[in-house]
Amino acid sequence: MNSMLVETNGLGMRYATQGGKLALDGASFSLAPGEFLVILGQNGCGKSTLLKCIAGLLRPTAGHIRVVGRDITALTGRALADARMALGMVFQQARLIGRRSVLSNVLCGTLGRHHGVASSLGFLPRDETGHALRCLDQVGLKAFARQRAGTLSGGQAQRVAIARALAQRPSALLADEPVASLDPEAAEEVMRLLRRLSRDEGLGVICVLHQPDLARRYADRIIGMRQGQMVFDTRPDTLQEAEIAALYEATPS
Amino acid sequence: MSATTDGILDQPVARARGTPKPDRWGGNAFTFLGVFAFLVVVAQATLVVQARPQDLITGIHGMADIISRAVPPDISALPNLAWPALETVDIGLFGTVAGVLLALPLAILAARNTSPAAPLYAFSRALISFCRAVPDLVWALIFVTAVGLGPFPGALAISVHSIGMLGRLFAEVIEDMDVGPVEALTTTGASRLQVFSHAVVPSVLPSLLGIALYRLDENIRGSLVLGFVGAGGLGFELLTAMNLFQYRTVSMTLLVIFALVITAERLSAALRRRVA
Repeated sequence: MNSMLVETNGLGMRYATQGGKLALDGASFSLAPGEFLVILGQNGCGKSTLLKCIAGLLRPTAGHIRVVGRDITALTGRALADARMALGMVFQQARLIGRRSVLSNVLCGTLGRHHGVASSLGFLPRDETGHALRCLDQVGLKAFARQRAGTLSGGQAQRVAIARALAQRPSALLADEPVASLDPEAAEEVMRLLRRLSRDEGLGVICVLHQPDLARRYADRIIGMRQGQMVFDTRPDTLQEAEIAALYEATPS
Repeated sequence: MSATTDGILDQPVARARGTPKPDRWGGNAFTFLGVFAFLVVVAQATLVVQARPQDLITGIHGMADIISRAVPPDISALPNLAWPALETVDIGLFGTVAGVLLALPLAILAARNTSPAAPLYAFSRALISFCRAVPDLVWALIFVTAVGLGPFPGALAISVHSIGMLGRLFAEVIEDMDVGPVEALTTTGASRLQVFSHAVVPSVLPSLLGIALYRLDENIRGSLVLGFVGAGGLGFELLTAMNLFQYRTVSMTLLVIFALVITAERLSAALRRRVA
């Protein structure tokens, strides 16, 4: 038994639809509490596949994933949904419900803990309001609680999406290119927020990024991926420019 | 071209000048052919409908006669029109509510992203198309034969026709739905039912409500005509008064219809603005 939040072992993924190409090949790493891990690589290198496997959105064709010590590789249905609750997911788009209030969107993050009839009929668990407001406070948007989510700017919406993930009370956050559709200033703000959550709240963060520059400045550890394989797993201060450049070299075909 | 024009503007102009002449000619010839074809189509339509403007002119006396006999509208007929007016509105209301309730499950089967199986998809699509293809007037005739005269066959006709109109639009809304919130909630550990009620419903509900309200407006107008085939409401009153040559009652009925149609239209538009 160890205290790692996420552990993958020899993770492999072969899509049946893409001519049996290996999208992910023997990915093994672990994430400690409070650690900010960034995964870099060009499009199609397997970084999103890796994240989706960990999030339980894809079932890997090889290897194992442990989330907070529990092997989720073979889980389905309710058991998988319960195991997923330890992992908060943030996407490239905020994916909020524009017509609902910011607070309601954050409350949606608590649904996994409430399985009553009322919540299935579309009622939100109002007894979680205090918790949801604290999550909004953590992302600095408590004042926007009653506003319609559709009126937020891109950066604000992404921070509300992070608050929604926090409402779930996760041990780790998985972020799939969370700043790819934000302007530079909003991107920095979201990155600062993610780092603060990992430092202050002890959350593990796995963040897939396209910007080596942001990775260098915010990550505790950087994993480089190329053609489905992990090519390095290192601290930002020991990472050479050449190693990063090699990730983005044109693929020999 | 002015001397101040810079190179960026010059380029496309130069390219346009460079285009070979036959192309321009081809474009013109095409436009000419299009206009000619359109005129031919209009000419055949005029022939087929046997349009004879001179008949309209010779018939002007008859029209003036009817109009003079129709004014002033008979106010005393108003109390007798209250009940049929309510019938007309209620036929539209019942038909819309029943149509929504039946169209919704059909639309879920007929939307590519929510349909559970291909045969169900094809079946529901076909059913929706059939309901739509048969006009509500024909449905009314069928139901009058089945359940007799009165408002009920009218309400049934509106319901069935509404299934056809609503089913297709509902299915389109479901197909165009934003899947982002659905995936986001799935990863929070929410159950399938919770994902449906907290992500699917809030994203599609405003559009569905808007479509239903528009349908209500259309259905109230639709139910006016159904009276002509014996399916109750103001249409039936209008037909009766026409047959009895009570033109002042006819004009009064038309005024009530006018007020009803405008009110329904305004109300539906106002409500749609609120849900948008």
